[in-house]
Amino acid sequence: MVDYEISISIDARGSFCPGPMMELIKAIRQSEVGDFVEVLSSDEGSLQDIPAWIAKAKHELIDTVKKADFNRFIVKKTW
Amino acid sequence: MPIAVILGGGFAGLTIANKLAIKLKKRKEVEIVLIEPADSHLYEPGLLYYPFNDKPLSKLEKPISKILRKNVKHIKQKAIKIDYENKKITLEDGEVIDYNCLVMATGVDLKEERLGLTDKDNVHHFYSAEATLKIREALKNFKGGNIVISPSTVPYKCPPAPIEFAFLLDEYLRRKKIRDKTNIKFLYPLPRPFNIRVVAAKILKLFEKKDIEFEPFFNYDKIDTENKKILSFEGDEASYDLLVIIPPHEGQDIIKDSGLGDKEGFVLTDRETLQVEGQKSIYAVGDCTNIPVSKAGTVAHFAADVIVKNMISKIDNKEPTARYDGKTLCFLVTSSSKSFLLDFSFKKEPRKIGLHSWRIYGIMKKLFQYFYFGGLITGRI
Ligand SMILES: Cc1cc2nc3c(=O)[nH]c(=O)nc-3n(C[C@H](O)[C@H](O)[C@H](O)COP(=O)(O)OP(=O)(O)OC[C@H]3O[C@@H](n4cnc5c(N)ncnc54)[C@H](O)[C@@H]3O)c2cc1C
Repeated sequence: MVDYEISISIDARGSFCPGPMMELIKAIRQSEVGDFVEVLSSDEGSLQDIPAWIAKAKHELIDTVKKADFNRFIVKKTW
Repeated sequence: MPIAVILGGGFAGLTIANKLAIKLKKRKEVEIVLIEPADSHLYEPGLLYYPFNDKPLSKLEKPISKILRKNVKHIKQKAIKIDYENKKITLEDGEVIDYNCLVMATGVDLKEERLGLTDKDNVHHFYSAEATLKIREALKNFKGGNIVISPSTVPYKCPPAPIEFAFLLDEYLRRKKIRDKTNIKFLYPLPRPFNIRVVAAKILKLFEKKDIEFEPFFNYDKIDTENKKILSFEGDEASYDLLVIIPPHEGQDIIKDSGLGDKEGFVLTDRETLQVEGQKSIYAVGDCTNIPVSKAGTVAHFAADVIVKNMISKIDNKEPTARYDGKTLCFLVTSSSKSFLLDFSFKKEPRKIGLHSWRIYGIMKKLFQYFYFGGLITGRI
């Protein structure tokens, strides 16, 4: 398992769509280019919405880790 | 003497104060206090139509003295701090009010200053009476070009309102015979124009039919007033001749200053008990909460019954057992004569109630304000 130096970690488990995605956007706004941000979400909708937003905003989705009752998204701020 | 205090007398606070006053009419030992600096109440849902007509906005207002029941004491002041350990509220003039049970109903704070605009910028909104009068003038003077509509933050009050505005704008411009000279663009922070997918699909179809361009994932970053452009955090931009932007929404300072809110100042509230996190004697209702439901009057209406039941249980030293199930009723206006009504809750998928008839809607639209002031806010319904 690759370990990333996460600069902002958001635990949005229990929060409903669009909460986790909006939390991620806020964290990316606050971070520096090259930083890794992770977001934990138990909302199924995040599996579509978070990658779609990352693609649109041209950042990089490094990994999606599926856990039993949530997903962990690791995102790199590219610009 | 048990004191029930309601902080904020907008739709949610007035409804709760009146419902409590009805239920506790014969219980003279309970004092009901409302803290609200304003003298009058504005029927906000009406604001949606006023950019497109010439009626005086005073038609949407009513004095609080005519809404509030006599057994509620109205303190006309702003509160500045809640000391929840000692159950005390400090008012702006320094007076301190005790409570046994408190309801937070302080709504949202529209942070227009965060946009850094001046009156000359042709950037408007319709979320306050003052702004509505300005956008009305701007629309009267509009001769064609690009109109861009966008919320600046999520969440904002009444999620369908900017969409409805776009539909009514389309109709207004057609009436003015300048629709063919105008592009309407709707920029949205989220992937869909409505959180619920079936509703979003319906809205997208209507956008297409009415030639309204929809752009998802547009999270407001800044406005370049010199070049008349709105820029997104995703790196996109849109040119405007008239920009309609819903101002940033935050919770009130008192929530932040009293340590009862999240980063944006929305009250940390349990979505079922409606109790404030970690506080057995404080409830929260309406737009001020952080509950993942629409910031809408209908949500406050259904939540009010739960809070009133739980407050009375508390006053009687019983366990509060009433729970809010997320019930939301949502009108979605698709033109000045048509609309549909949605009904959903935390667990129930949205159901479209078949209101799509101009006749029924025409009547309902006229009656709703009457129903709002005559029934809902008086606590009778
Ligand atoms: C254009 C528009 C259209 C809408 N359409 C609809 C609709 O069709 N259907 C619907 O259900 N909802 C609609 N809404 C939303 C609805 O108006 C709000 O959800 C509702 O008014 C919320 O009520 P509230 O009491 O929580 O907040 P508010 O009505 O904003 O009241 C908050 C009150 O708290 C007071 N306050 C704040 N801080 C303090 C303090 N420190 N001390 C004392 N008092 C304080 C304020 O003075 C204010 O009176 C619409 C809103 C807008 C803007």
